[in-house]
Amino acid sequence: MAATTQTTATVKDVEQYKYGFVTDIETERAPKGLNEDIIRFISAKKDEPAWMLEWRLKAYRYWLTLADEEPTWAKLHYPRIDYQDSYYYAAPKQQAKYESLDQVDPKLLETYKKLGIPLLEQQMLAGVAVDAVFDSVSVATTYKKKLQELGVIFSPISEAVKTHPDLVKKYLGSVVPYSDNFFATLNSAVFTDGSFVYIPKGLRCPMELSTYFRINEKNTGQFERTLIIADEGSYVSYLEGCTAPQRDENQLHAAVVELIALDDAEIKYSTVQNWYPGDENGKGGIYNFVTKRAACRGRNSKVMWTQVETGSAITWKYPSCILQGDGSSGEFYSVAITNNHQQADTGTKMIHIGKNTKSRIISKGISAGKSSNTYRGLVRVQGKADRARNYTQCDSLLIGDKCSANTVPYIESRSPTATTEHEATTSKISEDQLFYCLQRGMTQEEAVSLIVNGFCKEVLQTLPMEFAVEAQKLVAISLEGSVG
Amino acid sequence: MAASLISAHPFGEAYAAKAGTASGGRWAELQRAARAEIARGLPGPQHEEWRFTPLTALARVGFIPAAAADDVDVTTVPSDVPRIEGATRVVLVNGVYRADLSDTATDIEIASFAPNDATGQIALAELPLVALNTAYVTGGVTIAAKRPTTRTVHLISIGASGSQPLAFHPRIVVTAAAGASLTVVETHIGLPGQPFFANTVIEVDVAEDATVRRYVAVIEDGDAFHIATSGVAVAARGTYESFHLGLGGHRASGTVRQEIHARLNGEAARVQLGGVYALGGESHHDFTTVITHHAPGASSQQLFKGVLDGKSHGVYQGRVQVLQTAQKTDARQLHKALFLTAGPEVDVKPELEIAADDVQCAHGATTGSIDPDHLFFLAARGIDEPTARGLLVEGFVADALSQVSDETARDALQQQVTAWLRKRGGAL
Repeated sequence: MAATTQTTATVKDVEQYKYGFVTDIETERAPKGLNEDIIRFISAKKDEPAWMLEWRLKAYRYWLTLADEEPTWAKLHYPRIDYQDSYYYAAPKQQAKYESLDQVDPKLLETYKKLGIPLLEQQMLAGVAVDAVFDSVSVATTYKKKLQELGVIFSPISEAVKTHPDLVKKYLGSVVPYSDNFFATLNSAVFTDGSFVYIPKGLRCPMELSTYFRINEKNTGQFERTLIIADEGSYVSYLEGCTAPQRDENQLHAAVVELIALDDAEIKYSTVQNWYPGDENGKGGIYNFVTKRAACRGRNSKVMWTQVETGSAITWKYPSCILQGDGSSGEFYSVAITNNHQQADTGTKMIHIGKNTKSRIISKGISAGKSSNTYRGLVRVQGKADRARNYTQCDSLLIGDKCSANTVPYIESRSPTATTEHEATTSKISEDQLFYCLQRGMTQEEAVSLIVNGFCKEVLQTLPMEFAVEAQKLVAISLEGSVG
Repeated sequence: MAASLISAHPFGEAYAAKAGTASGGRWAELQRAARAEIARGLPGPQHEEWRFTPLTALARVGFIPAAAADDVDVTTVPSDVPRIEGATRVVLVNGVYRADLSDTATDIEIASFAPNDATGQIALAELPLVALNTAYVTGGVTIAAKRPTTRTVHLISIGASGSQPLAFHPRIVVTAAAGASLTVVETHIGLPGQPFFANTVIEVDVAEDATVRRYVAVIEDGDAFHIATSGVAVAARGTYESFHLGLGGHRASGTVRQEIHARLNGEAARVQLGGVYALGGESHHDFTTVITHHAPGASSQQLFKGVLDGKSHGVYQGRVQVLQTAQKTDARQLHKALFLTAGPEVDVKPELEIAADDVQCAHGATTGSIDPDHLFFLAARGIDEPTARGLLVEGFVADALSQVSDETARDALQQQVTAWLRKRGGAL
């Protein structure tokens, strides 16, 4: 009963996009447009060393040569983006670093409260260290000291560039090189901030590391860059969540996330993506072009991606694993929900290079309204990947007859001892299940939410607890107005 | 997209000069447009649909039109092609219908292909290899059942080169009027010699309540190129069933691509596609299917199996599109590949594009090798390893073959698979 009441309450609470507000904080930003001066400006603002600026400029010059190579293969339709019509840097004006939360701008805290990041309570309750990225500059970092004692480095990447230049130099761009693809190249040139995590040898990080991204400043492209390194035998679980205020103009988001797992290390990376999806007529919403890739470099290393994608007008995202180390494994669990005019083209790539490598892909796509939801994935087994193993399952659920669900898996096998399996199904919510729920006094919407949550269960249960609860609510919210 | 074209290929002006042109009318117009299209280039390795079967090797061979060769003379059908009892024999040599080698029938019409206004309605003109066929079509055959009848046709297509590599572009048109039932058994063989390129386009029109079955075997020991594009339209309650067998010899390096575009236009139409490829040497086999459900309540089934040996390359690209109008669709798609050794490569891309909600669609794809547990099971029963492997491979392809509803055809196909396995010998 409790779950039902909760669902009803949630549904009432979020009849409109809950996070659609704009915090009025003075921001400082670079002029509109993109050129070498803007990049120098960003670099100077961040007080970056010369090598970092050089890297950015190298990426920018390469990006200019890609002008006509913006990827078009995805099943996405959007007007051509004018990259000169966007701001590439915005920072909250108040630049001071805080020792305690009391010093933080109360308006900012208010924003977090609405977002449901109880910084104050979380310290006590959840044991979650939050490195909150408010627009582009990290303003509050908690638990930093405690983590420091353990030797964990968890800081904004702009800071890590200065404090741990050797690590950043060694690993930045080693998984997603600046020349990787159109959006990753753009990110390499103009990335503003993001998280840097280093887990030392043999340490099991005692708490979940978390960053909330939030686009706040109008017309500001967000170019986050995250780099996580798990040294030999270590473990870390990292949470990423997104919400964005309601707005009419489309906003561009092109993030890059690089994960590196060395021998016997394990990284668990969970995302709940809830950017503003645009209104029911398809107006506004975030364009989300993300490059996420993990290198399982070490023997028996492991990376697990979990994503719940409910937001954004456009999602272009393929968290991948390069399974280089012998015995390494990659997992990808995804729930992608599209409603109204949302378009999602998302999936994963599993590249088996080492012997005895394993991968597992579970993807659940739900399309409603007039949306389009595509799973696009690649499983490649190289010739030397003896006894590689892959299992893929892609299920799609259609709600209504105006939406579409597509599945585009590529399977390329060159190893005779490898086994790959791929299964996909597409169906609608069964009348019988719906009838059963209605008969027990649920409303249509509650019933759909329950059934869809059941459909996604395999994925949702891989999320850390706090996220799992939020994600279940999101599933219900995202399907608002899609039935009846 | 210009960069993704192979601009240097043998089908340019010199080829056109030797090939001659169609006389006036709509077809001549289509041909001119197609030649202009081809002059721009063949699909290159960047071309998504041709990524796994690049035509770069094809483009390097100096093909001349088969009609321009004066040193090819085929007077009989090779004796190793068996006669199918009760079937009407239809023979094509280098894409040209040979009445002298063919049987006649009374209940159906068989004639050399001549383009008319309906030609090209079913085959998709925008496909580059269909355009190539249109540009240089060398004849072919029309098989039409114009009234309800049941008939089996044995179509034998012989490729033979003289001193130069030849290309031919036949068009085969199969129409079954309402209530008719046509079974077409196709045997595609190559005579030893220079490589040849058969670029066949098959148009199949299945009317209401009609049935067309095609059982196609391409047996290739040389280095020929077989590219066949089938365009199929199925009306209400009609059935299209096909099975394609592709065998690549252990010293072969040929390329086969069976591209099938089927449209389910009428309610409760049914399409069933099956296929087996068994490849050795450096042979290459590609199954590309596009099934489009336009009408409600229709069903499509696909089951493909591949056995790979040597340094061969198997490809399966299957797309199922369910349009918004096609509620209550049931679409299934399965591809399984079995590696016999280290060296081969398999590329699979099963796609679903669904725009109707009340549907059942599923696809599956697996790759793997012979399970050691199965070998052990058989070894424990006193069966030596080569025999056991042979049994397991036969078993692996058996369920694809079992879908062939015509018993005689099924037995013949089964024998061909067994012969392929036997040729490979004890090394299994």
